[in-house]
Amino acid sequence: MCGRPGGPHHGAMDETDAPIILDRVTKRFGSLTAVDSLSLRIPRGQIVALLGPNGAGKSTTVSLLMGLAAPDGGEVSVCGERPGAAVSRGRVAAMLQDCGPMPGVRVAELVELTRRMYPAPSPTAAAIEVAGLADMAQRRVDRLSGGQLQRLKFALVAVADPELMLLDEPTVAMDVQARAGFWSAMRTYAAAGTTILFASHYLDEVERNADRVVVMAHGRVVADGTPDEVRAAGGAAIVRFRLPQPAALPRLPGRVTFADGWARVDTADPDLTVRMLAASDVPWRDLRVYQTSLDESFLALVGTDGADGTAKEMAS
Amino acid sequence: MTGYFARLECLRMLRDPRYLALAVVAPIGFYLLFASLFGGGMPGRLPGTVEIMVAMAAYGAIWGALSATGPRIAHERAGGWLQQLQAMPVAARQVMAAKLAAGMTVTLPALVLVCLTAAVVKGVRLDTWQWATLLAVMWVGSLPFVVMGVAIGFVVGAEAAFPLSYGLYMAMAALGGLWVPPAQLPAALRQLAGALPSYRLADLGWRIAAGSAPSAADVAILAAWTAGLGLLAALAYRRRPRRRLGSGPRPGPRRRHASSPAAA
Repeated sequence: MCGRPGGPHHGAMDETDAPIILDRVTKRFGSLTAVDSLSLRIPRGQIVALLGPNGAGKSTTVSLLMGLAAPDGGEVSVCGERPGAAVSRGRVAAMLQDCGPMPGVRVAELVELTRRMYPAPSPTAAAIEVAGLADMAQRRVDRLSGGQLQRLKFALVAVADPELMLLDEPTVAMDVQARAGFWSAMRTYAAAGTTILFASHYLDEVERNADRVVVMAHGRVVADGTPDEVRAAGGAAIVRFRLPQPAALPRLPGRVTFADGWARVDTADPDLTVRMLAASDVPWRDLRVYQTSLDESFLALVGTDGADGTAKEMAS
Repeated sequence: MTGYFARLECLRMLRDPRYLALAVVAPIGFYLLFASLFGGGMPGRLPGTVEIMVAMAAYGAIWGALSATGPRIAHERAGGWLQQLQAMPVAARQVMAAKLAAGMTVTLPALVLVCLTAAVVKGVRLDTWQWATLLAVMWVGSLPFVVMGVAIGFVVGAEAAFPLSYGLYMAMAALGGLWVPPAQLPAALRQLAGALPSYRLADLGWRIAAGSAPSAADVAILAAWTAGLGLLAALAYRRRPRRRLGSGPRPGPRRRHASSPAAA
């Protein structure tokens, strides 16, 4: 895809150099299994998108990695340490959804306070600049808009300059320009060896910026690969054609649905689909082939029941 | 880092007009009012200008201590700052140290400025050692109110914290003899006053201003309030309600970070 720097690194790196290792990790809340025997290894310098419907276990996974929740089973390793130790030694920094700034202080003061917490920080002014807050450095944090607050959270991660960045919905409420600046900065960090794991609902930015996509549903990984691979896993293409009159279709290699006089085939093999249609007697017209978007693969992978956020209960 | 943290905690208090109005301007204004009305004093007691000086210094210090902690901690819990701190390389004890330092620091303007007003405007004269001891002892004596604020901040939510703090403040001021000299309270209320930290804080100052040492009862009762409220604050901190997906109590004996997951 366009604009992806470096390409996927996984497999090419030393196996021991993995800032995130989850080994059969399980986390339950009462009867709900939020994370179900999850195994994941993320090598250094990779930008990884964590996708999944609400309740899929993304935020719980981030909590486990930050040491904010303890697993009920399995092992979590962050930068080769327990998550709590990695956090307290400043090796990991996060943009988390439920977090807010210290009230009553100025942007520059809060970034400076954060800088003093971390072992190898960036200069305060540089972090403010990269987050696009240079003209708001002296503003009180209480007077920032939603998008500006999100940029402030970004500045706090930027000033920390950690080995691992965990970003939960990092660009929510950011405008297009801020978002572009954010991703350009992230690519620079990754090129310098920072590992970045982010959860997002914006599939276009996942497609453009992630080296690797991990799709979760019901606390498990249902797909893991480059954006192209994940797109293929959900069905590589859609073949659409008009059927002026009802006709029996041959057994096509994919799922066939009908609506408004159109037939739609979700298939991993568009070539064979088209050949079979051409060889058949079916009076189809206006045939077209589309590449599946990551959106559609994503919905196919997690199942439409999971996509609306209502399927929280697990069979376990 | 903890020093800079405490400095920011103080800065944001000094930028808050409500703090300046209630914990600095109000005690000075009330002092000038009451000292003018009741400045004559009772026979055999401290002059009214001195007694009211100590009462209003305590009055301002108590609100400084409570307002720097209770409503702010509750607000920070609701707004996610304490959750953010859990995800940062800062220990809970460093956060608490910064809060206690800031709470103690912002009691000073009321203590110093009320005494200064008394000396400059009402001509109150004490020996140098009395001024120094009075300020130092009353400052240390403000500690239970800082700890009380911390407990309030972790026990109640953001909406309840301000009215609860202010209500307790008013009740402690009135029943502790800061408004009305305790000698003029009915006997039952006088006994109650004796158990309150507000009365004991003022009593430290009254005794020093009268040239004697603080009583053992003053010190013991203030220490007991500090210990009890400290215990309550520690329990509330550990057991405070978890937000959304709770992480459950951790098995380890020490919890470096507080319990609720920030990301849910």
